[in-house]
Order: sequence, then C-alpha cells, then structure tokens
Amino acid sequence: MEENAFDPELIREIFRIVWQRRASEREKNQLSQNEAEAGANTSKKGRLTSANANALKLSCELLRLFVKEAIQRAATIAEAEGSLKIEATHLERILPQLLLDF
Amino acid sequence: MASDVEREEEEEDESVSELLRDRFRLCSISIAEAEAKQNGMEVSQPIMACISDLAFKYTQQLAKDLELFAQHGGRKVVNMEDVILAAHRNDHLAGSLRSFRNDLKTKEPQSDRKRKKNLTKEDKAAVDVLHMADP
Repeated sequence: MEENAFDPELIREIFRIVWQRRASEREKNQLSQNEAEAGANTSKKGRLTSANANALKLSCELLRLFVKEAIQRAATIAEAEGSLKIEATHLERILPQLLLDF
Repeated sequence: MASDVEREEEEEDESVSELLRDRFRLCSISIAEAEAKQNGMEVSQPIMACISDLAFKYTQQLAKDLELFAQHGGRKVVNMEDVILAAHRNDHLAGSLRSFRNDLKTKEPQSDRKRKKNLTKEDKAAVDVLHMADP
C-alpha cells in the first residue's frame, strides 16, 4: 500500500522552513511594535515549533491522500469524457471541490 | 520596501526551499504516476507539475495551520491530534487519518522487534552472543 510515499524528513525540512520564516517575521513585528513587550515573550519565542515523528508520518499520509485524490478525481472526469490522458480541463473541473475538501 | 540585506536573506532562503520544493515535486510525481497507472490513465506533463505545485502549497499551508494548532494548545511540538484537526472539515479524511494514527500506535511497541528483524545475520549472531553472556 505504501509503495510510494513522502519522506517524513523532507516534510520536516519543509515545515521547518515555513516555521522559521514565520518566527523571524514575528520577531520583526515585535521589535517594531514595542520592545517592552518583547521581554515578556522571550520564553515564548525561545524555541522554534517542531513536530514529533508520528505527526510527520501522519502529515505525509495526508499529503499522499491529497495527491491521490487529485489524480483519482481527475481520472474519473477524464474517463467520463472518454479520454485516456488527464488534461487541464479535467483538473479544472475537480479543483474547486478538491480544495474545499482539504 | 525591503532593504538589500533582507532581499539577500530571502534569496538564500529561496535557494534552500527551491531544492526542497524540487525534492517534494519528485515525490509527489511518483505518487501521482503510480495512482494514474492504477486507474489506467496518463497524466499530461503540465498537469503533473500543477498537481505537485498544489501539493507543495498545501504543505506550506498545513505547516502554518499545525503551528497555530500547537500554539493554541500551549505546545511547541506538533502532535498527531494537530494533524487530524487540520483535516477536520472532511469527515472521511479525518476518519482515515484516525485509522492511520491507530495503525501507527499499534505498530509502535513492535518497532523494537522490527528493528531486530532487519539486522543482518552477523548482527543477529552478535545479539545471540550478548544474550548468552547476559546471565
């Protein structure tokens, strides 16, 4: 079943980059707003958000399902239209509902 | 608006995340291709790129959500409940994630045994010797 899946380490690195970016943005905002509050928040921003191993595995599964669903739904539309190749129009038709479902 | 230093930092950041994005794309393309094959379908190249890009954007959004959920729970570490919460809008999705979580949980105590299974014969012999030496 799991012949193809995302690598949890890869997902961890992507998450970390997003979290780093957000942390530095937060820091910038804090500095510009008022430095009096920054003192109270030092403990809060001390450590970057991280994820445990099982949470990463679960995220990988969620992303795998996302890709799977995208292909499966597009394939259904393509099949209904008698096409053997998934084209842009097929993706366009399933995209709104796909994005609502995830 | 942004100063030159900031811009440079962003560029550096970009090159790292671009590498990650490409690795992510390769992963998602292999998943998509396997899935298409199962359905007896071909996928045109631009659509493949589109889907992998969508998945990448979704990953970034997911990272933001997970961080917020963990913060809301007063934690700095994202756990499995946060991931399930991220899929709460879709009952089917949340359900299948929950069963995946349960699978992971039941597997956990066996992970030690699994690791032993993967040992080479030499390692096994070494383990046996250790066990014999124990008493």
